[in-house]
Amino acid sequence: MSKISNIWVFSDAESRLPEVIAGGAELGEKVSAFVIGSQDQATQAFSYGADAVYHLGEMDSARIVEAYADTMAKVIEEGDKPAMILLPGTKRCKALASLLGVKLNAGVVTEASEITSDGNAVQAKHMVYGGLALGDEKIASPISIVVFGGGVFQPAEADASKTGEAVSVDFIEPKTSIKCIERQPKQGSSVDLNKAKRIVAVGRGIAKQEDIKLAEGLCSAIEAELGCSRPIAESEKWMERERYIGISGVMPKPELYLALGISGQVQHMVGANGAQYIVAVNKDKNAPIFDYADYGIVGDLYTIVPAIVDAFKG
Amino acid sequence: MKIIVGCKLVPEEQDITVQKDGTLDLSKATPKISQFDLNAIEAAVEIKAEIADSTITALSVGGKYLDNTKARKDILSRGPDELTSVIDENLETALPHQTARIMAAAAQKNGFDLIICGDGSGDLYAQQVGIRLGAELEVSTLNGVTKIVSVSNDLLVVERALETEVETLEVSLPAVISVSPDINVPTIPGMKSILKAGKKPVNAMTLSDLGLADDPALVELVEIKAAQKKDRKNIIIEGDGEDKIAEFVSHLRTIMN
Repeated sequence: MSKISNIWVFSDAESRLPEVIAGGAELGEKVSAFVIGSQDQATQAFSYGADAVYHLGEMDSARIVEAYADTMAKVIEEGDKPAMILLPGTKRCKALASLLGVKLNAGVVTEASEITSDGNAVQAKHMVYGGLALGDEKIASPISIVVFGGGVFQPAEADASKTGEAVSVDFIEPKTSIKCIERQPKQGSSVDLNKAKRIVAVGRGIAKQEDIKLAEGLCSAIEAELGCSRPIAESEKWMERERYIGISGVMPKPELYLALGISGQVQHMVGANGAQYIVAVNKDKNAPIFDYADYGIVGDLYTIVPAIVDAFKG
Repeated sequence: MKIIVGCKLVPEEQDITVQKDGTLDLSKATPKISQFDLNAIEAAVEIKAEIADSTITALSVGGKYLDNTKARKDILSRGPDELTSVIDENLETALPHQTARIMAAAAQKNGFDLIICGDGSGDLYAQQVGIRLGAELEVSTLNGVTKIVSVSNDLLVVERALETEVETLEVSLPAVISVSPDINVPTIPGMKSILKAGKKPVNAMTLSDLGLADDPALVELVEIKAAQKKDRKNIIIEGDGEDKIAEFVSHLRTIMN
């Protein structure tokens, strides 16, 4: 794989900046990072290994991040080509990718799980048909835009000795108007299953909401985070969306994934498949999850789970 | 208010079979409305209930699936007043940049105040079309809308739940928004709506009706192949007797150490 000469990176979430800069360094010869925020954040971008930092100023609270698309597009247009824009898979970065795609007449691939280049054309794979298959797409435009999923790049370590002078960029007012009138921290749990070493997940095999306590008991016995399948979060609304594992939910990479009463549809399994070990409890011997499992037990979870809890407590 | 709702027909995943060489056989897959678009349709229906004299046009771009009467009726039974379809066999494998460009041309022909799309499509799930469409049309555009707080003829106030925060935003119309699955619970159409759907107008367009210049080839789909399944141990214990559970627990202990 040959490197692309010029890679632009940005992340609206500070936590993903080390990842996106590391990805840029892996794929490109020169990494230029856009930063919206304090001078400190610009310094941080240098410490993670950015070769150049373009500072778009402090975030104006009445603007949304995507309002900076015109500003970024202008800087990118004036830069060297072929170029690539690399973004992490946050909601805002996905929107930015499409906006920049139209503004720069560039091809976009989102949720990429594998990215390669020959120095010019970029090729990326991403899941299609609910995880049934991988689509392999080749970007033919001189500027390529790729949004990557979690776990593709190992985050860069900060190195305070790496510094530089950030370039200040003036904001270009977009033609359209979206005004932010309020920003609030998200209510409810701020669980991040991507960081969990162990996950216990429940599915339709749980008869009623109260029975989730059983799974919670198992979580505390084996120090796991609680997750669920899509119906539990979306149809039953027994758990928050942040806990649902699957192609349109979280795709974590724990050491252990223990599925309780989850049948194992492909849309769920592509989310769970990053686990080092998959273990399943299900009363249906023919449940597809057993095909994906390292270890499984066919039986009643209401008998099995309390017994596992006892075993690990004792 | 003139509302357009993006509506894609996708193959029923359960009818897709993976062939030996990893390619997919879609020939037995029946068309269905992309699941995320059901939320978009529902959001449009809710807005129509608030704003008098609103009309909802479902806009669908694609291949032969759009000839399927049952699928068309399914779209119309969920609330849209009419369906505009752009059919071309080459569009069966259209990528987001192509779909968005064609939708933009059709929307301009139709006229609109608000376009609502789903989070992504059930087949490609690229999550690009809504935003690209807004950018093509040069109107305000937003993804991840989780709540419509208020709506008037020229302004929409919405909530957008991001990874760690919730934004409340004022969006001036015309606009294109993409809604998240948690914005609403789509209504299942009743018999009356299904019967009514058959009488609603369908406006079929071709690519030449839209007079679009040649498509810039931005992205090329090289292939679609089943993901390789990871090798797993597949050690399955049958039965939930004490000794069986003990055996299971001992496996669990081994991998947890």
